[in-house]
Formats: sequence, structure tokens, C-alpha cells
Amino acid sequence: MIEPRTTMDPILLTVITNRLEGVTREMGAGMLRSSRSPIFAENKDFVTAVFDRRLRLVAQTAYIPVLMGASPFAVKAVSDHFGDDVEPGDVMILNDPYRGNNHAPDISVLKPVFFQGQLRFWVLSRGHHADIGGGGAAGRNPHAATAWEEGLRIPPAKLYRGGVYNRDVWEIILLNVRLRALVEGDLQCQVGACNVGDRALGQMLERYGRESVDRAIDEVLDRSEAQMRERIAVVPDGVYHASRQLDHLLEDGAASRRPAIRLRVQVDGEGLHVDFTGSDPQIPVYYNSSYANTVSSCYIGLFSTIAPDVAVNEGAMRPVSVTAPEGTLVNPREGAPTTQCTVATCATIVEAVWMALSEAMPQRAQAAWARTNAGAGTALNRRTGRPGAFILHFAKGGGGATHGFDGWSHISPVSSMGGSRVPDPELYELTFPHRILQYEYRPDSAGAGEWRGGYGAVFALRFNEEGTALSVQIGSGTEETAPFGLGGGGAAAPGTVRVRGQDGRKVEFHRAAMHHPRAGDVAEIRSAGGGGYGDPCKRPVEAVLDDVAGGLLSPGNARLQYGVVVDPVTGAADIEATRRLREGRRSTEGDSGS
Amino acid sequence: MVGVDVGGTFIDLMVSGSGHRLLRKTLSDPTDRAGALLAGLELVAEELGLSLREFLQRTDRIIHGSTIATNALLTRGGARTALLTTAGFRDVLNMRRGVRSDLYDPKQAPPDPLIPRQRIHPIAERVNGDGAVLEAVGEESVKQAVAAVRRGGVESVAVGFLFSFANDAHERAVGERLRAALPDVHVSLSSEVLPEVRLYERLSTTAVNAYVTPVLADYLESLERRLADKGFRGRLLVMQSSGGVMGLAPAARFGVRSILSGPAAGPVAGLWYAGLHGVTDAITTDMGGTSFDVCLANRGEVEVTKEMEIAGHRIALPMVAVHTIGAGGGSIVSVDGRGLLRVGPESAGATPGPVCYGRGGTQPTVTDADLLIGYLGAERFWGGRLRLDEEAAQEAFRRQVAGPLGMDVVRAAYGAYQVVNASMVDAIREVSVRRGHDPRRFVLVAAGGAGPIHACAIARELDIGLILVPREASVMCAAGQLLSDLRHDFVKSCVMSLERLDRHTVEEYYRDLCRAAEKALLGEGVPRARIALSCAADVRYVGQFSEVEVPVTGTELTEDAVAGVARDFHRIHEMLNGYSMPEAAAEIVNLRVVGRGLADAAPMPARSGDGGASLTGRRNAFFDDGFIEVPVHDGHRLAAGENVRGPAIVEQETTTVVLSPGFQLACDACGNYLVHPDTHSVQESLERLRRAASASPGST
Repeated sequence: MIEPRTTMDPILLTVITNRLEGVTREMGAGMLRSSRSPIFAENKDFVTAVFDRRLRLVAQTAYIPVLMGASPFAVKAVSDHFGDDVEPGDVMILNDPYRGNNHAPDISVLKPVFFQGQLRFWVLSRGHHADIGGGGAAGRNPHAATAWEEGLRIPPAKLYRGGVYNRDVWEIILLNVRLRALVEGDLQCQVGACNVGDRALGQMLERYGRESVDRAIDEVLDRSEAQMRERIAVVPDGVYHASRQLDHLLEDGAASRRPAIRLRVQVDGEGLHVDFTGSDPQIPVYYNSSYANTVSSCYIGLFSTIAPDVAVNEGAMRPVSVTAPEGTLVNPREGAPTTQCTVATCATIVEAVWMALSEAMPQRAQAAWARTNAGAGTALNRRTGRPGAFILHFAKGGGGATHGFDGWSHISPVSSMGGSRVPDPELYELTFPHRILQYEYRPDSAGAGEWRGGYGAVFALRFNEEGTALSVQIGSGTEETAPFGLGGGGAAAPGTVRVRGQDGRKVEFHRAAMHHPRAGDVAEIRSAGGGGYGDPCKRPVEAVLDDVAGGLLSPGNARLQYGVVVDPVTGAADIEATRRLREGRRSTEGDSGS
Repeated sequence: MVGVDVGGTFIDLMVSGSGHRLLRKTLSDPTDRAGALLAGLELVAEELGLSLREFLQRTDRIIHGSTIATNALLTRGGARTALLTTAGFRDVLNMRRGVRSDLYDPKQAPPDPLIPRQRIHPIAERVNGDGAVLEAVGEESVKQAVAAVRRGGVESVAVGFLFSFANDAHERAVGERLRAALPDVHVSLSSEVLPEVRLYERLSTTAVNAYVTPVLADYLESLERRLADKGFRGRLLVMQSSGGVMGLAPAARFGVRSILSGPAAGPVAGLWYAGLHGVTDAITTDMGGTSFDVCLANRGEVEVTKEMEIAGHRIALPMVAVHTIGAGGGSIVSVDGRGLLRVGPESAGATPGPVCYGRGGTQPTVTDADLLIGYLGAERFWGGRLRLDEEAAQEAFRRQVAGPLGMDVVRAAYGAYQVVNASMVDAIREVSVRRGHDPRRFVLVAAGGAGPIHACAIARELDIGLILVPREASVMCAAGQLLSDLRHDFVKSCVMSLERLDRHTVEEYYRDLCRAAEKALLGEGVPRARIALSCAADVRYVGQFSEVEVPVTGTELTEDAVAGVARDFHRIHEMLNGYSMPEAAAEIVNLRVVGRGLADAAPMPARSGDGGASLTGRRNAFFDDGFIEVPVHDGHRLAAGENVRGPAIVEQETTTVVLSPGFQLACDACGNYLVHPDTHSVQESLERLRRAASASPGST
């Protein structure tokens, strides 16, 4: 319990705090309802937020947490860029990862909120667009060696100046994208969200007065900071190390390697510092993580371990600092490509944070989640006769287990923490010339444990005709990068992607390439499960049998991973054989441990 | 006519006959609900000087709302259910589109599925989006599924195949096989429950239907039999979540349609009370023990949504858009980790209940706060049947709220009152401002036992000019049953460009839907003259994933009519989302027909208050700056046309009305209260609402 430190009326404080959060929800509702691309409305790949005039994050609604922790950088960049040149009715845009954004496909739209002639707030809407130009499809270009090949770079600019439509800026953007209608619609939808926030904040200031609102914000940020410090204080002081590799293989003959992210988490009383010194240098492939994205990924790792109920705002972030040396994977020099940082690299960073914290707090930390296996591309939209963009988010992977709880199945990636939604298979087939052959859980994919990881998914797609361009991201695809288990729990099965030709011919499928499948080809994406927690031989036999009965766990793996002997005909456990097997393993472990 | 609302704790009854209205609240009995209901009816009959048999013989209609289906879902007391689905898509139901609402918490168990994977059986078959058969039903897979269902002791089966809304032949064929092989098993086909695009939403709705229907059907069959035994020859009708009623036959097949049948009647009633004064725009609120329900009716139409989720289960059928938050009399008041005052969403419910009930409750609640600030009277609660313990409430507030906040007890209690009001204001904003409606042009209907205590403060915050407290405030849902139309919703998925609309096909679809609606209503005994059909289409911009419902002329679509649909679409989109793009391509996604059998509007009997001396005493009540001594009136003794000026308190057996300073109450001819700021007269307030309605844009 925190002692009240000011004389601010606690009732008014509650009312204003709730109202600020309500404003961000109202902004988000408009975006969910009216967006033009499936990526906002169906996938919920966006965030809304309110910042005060000192650019502090005050309240937010994050469907995709990784977008949120990075948003303060965008507000600061826009405010710095325009200085005094900010007036009522302005609406700003930004997408450049080297000017405060996380990666290019997520466009930030911001609006300064004026009240009685003074700047009081900034509102922000940030979301993933269907197209950002450049050489890729759906904003992703696996061939890009630089930021310029990834797509349009938009510095801080004004979409509206004093309420007047700034045609030049709109035209420069819309002329440089293929899916003009979608991008225009979604930008309008973001402007609308900012207008909603602007109006609602004006009403709030009208109702409670400037001073009360300012004091409430100071107070609530201070309280969140104190709460976060309390949580950090519980973590034993010390320095905790971890290292995780990206899935991408840098090919160099015998010297081929997967670049690694190395970090140490230093806990000192009520402060926590993450230091990435020692991480590998940046690479000419789109996995480099902008500094904003790196910091945001650290927040996800922390909040999901020690502070799930602490409000995500500037106050809560004060006790946390991040060092990321320039020129590395986690803070590249201007010009390096970054598109995959929000999913693949974010997941790698979060895994490393969890792994480090698991040393400090084994009971709080999570086993690793699947990094996502997702495709993205363009194909003819059957209904409009024009090209459309799709993101194949279907094959969500498993979540990691924690002490006391199984992981969630089909829930990854960690960058969304279960906030993003899978497209509807029927609407998908009605739109694109593809047929979904299979979309279900992937048996035997979960990491074993007293609490097992979640199951991944299998997604098989047949291309009915030519004309699709597709890139696929393979996550957790190797032994080294598969989701790890904790406390004796097992790692999950790695993710795979393969393509079969119609005639059974094998098709080479490279992760860093754009593919143009032939009619009849079938792509099969199998996502990894989540890592398990604790000794699998302690998992109750009934829970193991349940997975066997559902066809998710083969009798062979029940025996191999869990020491449970299942009669293949009746599905019942052989209790005596199980006991013997499990006891035998315990004594073996005991021996090796002594 | 009898309206019945069977809840978990209480059964509310309302009898409406020639010139009289009678209300009864009796205890429910979850082990024998039909018996408890008959006992309640017997009490009512007694009061009318009749035997149960005489009473039932004279009753032409019983309209039934209940939480039976909801509770079956909430408590997992439904049927043992299996699902047969297209091979390759076995887990779509349980994958739930891969979302969860609490993002960061590492300590949350994955959802416990309604139908576990071992009872989900893949059927080899495939239909595409145009309805063409790509793969016939695989005989072997059906055989295996039937055998597994038989082996598994399953009571109910949901059948949901890919694209069955475009071609239901496979679902029908498999359904027939199941019925033939397992005559005792209930079968739900997704193409009958919800023939609409979106696989997860259709499967989930069908699974819930399969899960709750056997429970509801058993109850209704038993009730019908027992009522008939006692001489009832009238019609038993069931309230639907969409705000209309249906006959017994569909109710016994489509239990999911009545999942919100209790709360759905409230807004219908609210609108009806508003209509007594010529007002067509109402925000109906119902604050009970655990929750606050709010729903908006615009231009005489209660708002309906397809976005509901109950106990984490997605139900995509049209339902009255009741927005519920955990804020009621029993909501617990606490101080959170940041040192902020919190109210709810946890509730002390009816047991143990608020601290002041003296039934073992230890955590302070909103009701305790209302008592400490003088809004509730310790002596006269529930007609004096329950004496409230003020000291215990005080002690609980001191220890758990006032102490940690460093405030005195009364200030803390008043703070809890303000915080819960702010949450309710936010909930009203949610259904009004967020959907593009200005709350100031609506009357606020305040119902539920606790609602009228908070109504003035809420109205002031939202600048609402008129509050209506219905005479039946505490049993409004039962009242609503009596006022609801028979209603059937029909929908046909039909994805088609609005610019290149095949008018003849659409007309043909609408004619089919209208015929089906008419047939259902005629089958329920509605005379043709009282059948009303309305057509609508779900429209969106190509590429969008949410639709806007637009009214359509339906069976005779002229070119002008199609142009009108386009115009209306852009206009409504603009109103809802703040912008429209008239040059962009739009398409129709679903065609809808609502068939209504119009209810006979029973007139409301006039008030027969005894007129004299309603003032029963005075007590201290807290407003803004401190305690004021205010008059307390007995509401049952207020006569038609009488006025009470605030600050004052008006007490009735199951409701208390708190009049803040600056508000006035007028008792109307039927005994409802009209509460308004004293800057305007009642007549001026009503006039303003009527004028605003005629000037406002069309309904959405």
C-alpha cells in the first residue's frame, strides 16, 4: 500500500485517471469499426495513446504492446521537429525508424490538443499499414539490404496544417504505394481517431479544469513509478545474463552463423537496467531493431514478469533504463533495414529478458513463446479485381508455461501478447484466390513440463492460380532458437515451412526471399509450440491422458516426454508401468545430480 | 396477460388485466424453477381472490424471460456436447481467433473449452464460398463420428461446416444421419442457428446453442405440461435476446436466442414508459445488486448488436445492445495498489451481501456507502423487512477505505458514491457518445432497486434534462415481457457489390426471408394484420471488416431504392465513424429481415395514491459539501400530479429516489416519476426531447 503524499482529492484523481483511459478506448473503437485493411480491424494491429504537454505517456490502449512502449519516441521526435510550429488543427505523420518510429509499416498519426489556446496534450494512433511502397509486398521486403529498399520513409510532416488538408504530403505518400485506397482509408481512420481523442480531452478539461487535470496526471504517474519500484525491489539484486540467437542465418560458408542478442539485466534496489553491450553488429537484412523497438521489447519482458497489473505509463517506465550500443542489432545506425524487428527481433529480446529474469525469479518467469511463423504478400482480390495485401497470421504459435499454469495454445507472438486476432478463414477465401486446406492445432508441438507449453498450429494454403507474391517469416525454426523450457520443462518443437508442388515436386523455400508460387502449389506453415515448465514426470497422469485423448499428444511422446504408458487401444494409462517408468527416471536424475 | 422474469435469486411477476396491474417478487428455486413459478402464480391468484386454476384459465398469454440459459453457460451446467466440423478445421472453435483480453498476466490458465477436442469430430467434406461442392461428405468419417457420439454419452451435437451459409446440404445430410441414429440427442446446425459468414463466430454461436438448448427445452416442456395440468389454455411465449418474443417451438430448438432474455426486456419497457409521454429516445439503465445495465433506444428502436460475448463465449446473433459493467449495490469498495479508490467489478452479491445487511458481508459496498451518506434509511429498507446495520458499515469503511485514504468515513463513502457514478457515466458514454449519439437528447430511464439513488448525479454529469423512474422500477424486465413484440430475425449471407447489384437475386432472397418470417409468426397465431416485416442490409466499403446496417425497401428494389441504400450507408458511416468516402466502392455482406408480431399495447392503469401526507420524516443526507436535513416521502402515498422539490428522498418498498438539490420530482397520472432540474418545468423538458427527436438524423 502506498501512503498518500499529496492533498489531491483521491476521488477526483480516480475519476480523471479512468477518464483518460476511457479516451484511448474511444479512439481505438473508432479504428476497429472503420478501418479499411484487415490488419487494423481484423488483426487489431494498432495502438492509441494520450501524452501530456510534457510528452509523458499518460494513458494507452494497446492491442499490440510492442507498438506502445515505442510510442513516446515518436511524440518526442514530432515535437522536437516542429518546435513552436504547432497550432490547433494540426495533424502529424511519421514512419521513419530513425526519427522515433519503430519500423516503417507502422505509421504514427499524432495530433496536438489545444485548450484555451494552449497546448495541453498529444494524442497518437499508430497502426500497421497494408502497403508502404518499396520493393516488398504488404510492407515487407525480404530482399531489402537498406531502409530505402523497404519502403517510403516519412519524416515528421503535417497531414493537416491548422485544420487544412495538406494535399502535397498526402499525394507524395499515396503516389508511392500500390494499395492507395487501403492506405488512404486507414490514414483517414487514424486521423478520425485523433479527432475523437482531441474532442474528448477538450470536454474533460472543460469539466475538471486544467489544474486538476495536471495535478491528477503528476500524481498518477508518481504512483505508477512507486508501484514499479516496489515490484523491482522484490527482484533479488544482482546481474543476470542471457543470450538468444535470431532465426536468420547469415550465410558465409563455413563461418555461417545466426546473429545473437546478448544482454544483462542489472537489478539494484528499486532500479533495473538492461544492457545490450556485446550484442552482434547490425546486419543488411530486415531484423535490426530500432532503439525504440528495443526499449519497448524490454518493457514487454518486464511487465509480463513482474508487473502485469501496473498501468503502462511514463511513471512506470522511470525506474527502467536501457543501454544499446550504436551499430548493433538492437540500435542500428541510420539506413539499416528494420521491418522484422517488431515481431522476430522483439520476440528474441523478450525471450532473453525472460531467460535472464528466470535466474532471479524462477517462479515468475515464463518459458519462451513461439516466435511467429507468418507470411505476408499480395494477390488479386477476387471481389475488387485489384491487388490486395494479406498477412498470414493464422499459424499462431504456443505460449510458454509458467510455474502453476500451462501455456496458451495458438496465441503468439509475444509482441502482441494475445492482443492480435487471426483473420476469418471464410472471409479470407472469399477475398483471395487461395484455398485453406488445414488450420488446426499442431500435435506434439508443445514443450513438455509439469505445466506444458501451449500448442502451435498447422496452416496449409493452396494457391489456386498464379499471381501471388509471398514472403514467409519462419520463427523458432531451429534447435537453438526453439522455445526453451524452464525449471526442467522441455523445449517446444521448432517451427517449419515447406512448399509442395502440385505434382509432388519439392520447391525450394528460402526465408529471405519473395516467392511466386505456381497454381496448385501448397504452402504448409507449422508453428512452434511454447516451452514447458517443471519436470514433465510430475504432470498429473489425467492431464497427460487428456492430451492423448484429444489427439494432441501421441502415445509415443506421452511415454518419452512424460513417462506415461498409454494403452494404444483403450487410451487408458497403464498405472503400474507408468509408476515404474517415472520412478526410474527420478532415480536416474538423482544419480546424475549427486 | 402475465410477464415472468425467472432469475437466479428472484422471480418477478407482473399481471396485466383490464384496468389492473399487479407486481410480485418471489424467491426462485434453482432445483425446481417451474414449481417456484407456479407457487408465485398461486400467490398472485390469491391476491386477486382466485384459485390458481381459475387464474390460469383466464390468462391468455404468459411471456417468459429467464436467466436459465445464461446460468447454464456461466455455471457450466449445460448438456454434454460434441461438435462435428469440416476436416482440417478441428480447432477453430477452441482457438478463439488467438486472442485473450488480459495481455501481460503470466499467471492465467488457458480457457476451459465448452467442447474439448476429444468430442470434436472431423467430417470429410468441402463446400466453397459460392456454395459449390468440392468434396462430398465422407461416409466413413460420418460413421466414425456417430459411433464416437454414441460412445461418449453425448446429449447434444453441434454441426458446423465451412461455408454452410452458402450451401447447407452437407450439414442437413449429417444432421439427418445423427437424428436417425441417435433420436434422443439434440442436433444444432450452424446453417440454422446463424447462417452467416465468419467461421469462428458461427461455430461458437452454434456450440453455445447446443450446450444450453437441452436444459432450456426440458424446463419449458415441464413448465408447459404443469401449466396445462393447472388449466392454462393460453399461449406460452419466450423472450429473446433480440428484444422480441418467440413461440415455444423455436425456443426449444434455439436456446441461444434467449440467452439474454432477462435483461433484453428492460430497454423495451424503458422505451414504452418514455412513449407514454411522447418521447421516442431513451437511455434505459438498470442498477441491481451486481451490475449496471445500460441500453439506448433511438427513434423508438432499441439498439441491437451482434458483438456480444457471454462468459467468454462469442455469440454473434442480434441481441439488445445492453452494455453491462460491474457496478451495483453490492459492488465492493476498495483501495488499489496505487492508493486509488476502486469500486467493483467484484461484488458481494446477494450473499454475503453488503456489510449493513448483517448477513456475513465484511467488505464495504456501494449500498453501505449509500447508507452512510443518508440516501438509504436504516429502518425502512425493503419495506422495513431488513434493518440495516449502520455501525458495521461505518467500521468496514473506516478500516478498509477511509483509513488507507486518510479521509473521514463519510467523505470516503461519498467518494465511493462519486466513483461508481463516474463508472456509470462512462458506461452511458459508451452507448451514446461512442456510437455517435448526444446523451442530452434522451430521457434517462432509471430502474433497478439502486438506480434512482444515483440518477440525479448521473444526469447532472451528462447534462441530461429528464429522468423517468418507472412505477415498476424494480421489476422492469417482467414489465418489459408484457410489452414486447413477437420477433424473428432472418439473415442470408450474400456478398455483392453495391454498384453492380443483381437486384432480382436480392429481391428473391428477401422474398424467401419474408416468407419464412411470415410463416413463423402465423404459426405462432399472430393474425396477418399484426405482422410487420422490415428489411435491412449489412453494408461496408470493400476491404472493410465491419458492416453498417442500412434499412432497405426489400422485396421491390427499384434503382432509386438501391441509390438510397448507398446514400444512407455513407451518411450512417459518417455519423458513426466521423468520416465517409462516397467515391469508394461499397458492398453488401448480409441481407436481414425482422418479422414482428405486434404486441397489444396494454394501457397503464391510473394511479390511485391516497393523496394526503406523503411526508414521513426527515433525515440527514450528504450532498457535495456536507449533510443537509432533507424531507423523506413515502412514494406509495404520492398522488398523480404531486410535486416534490429536492433536496429530498422518496422511498418505496423496493426503490429509493434521491433528489439532489436543484432537482424536482413530478408524479405522473400512472404513478411514474419525472425528475428534472428545476431550471425547467416538466413540460418544457418533455417538449425539448420531442423537438430534438424530430430534428435529429435518422435511426441507425
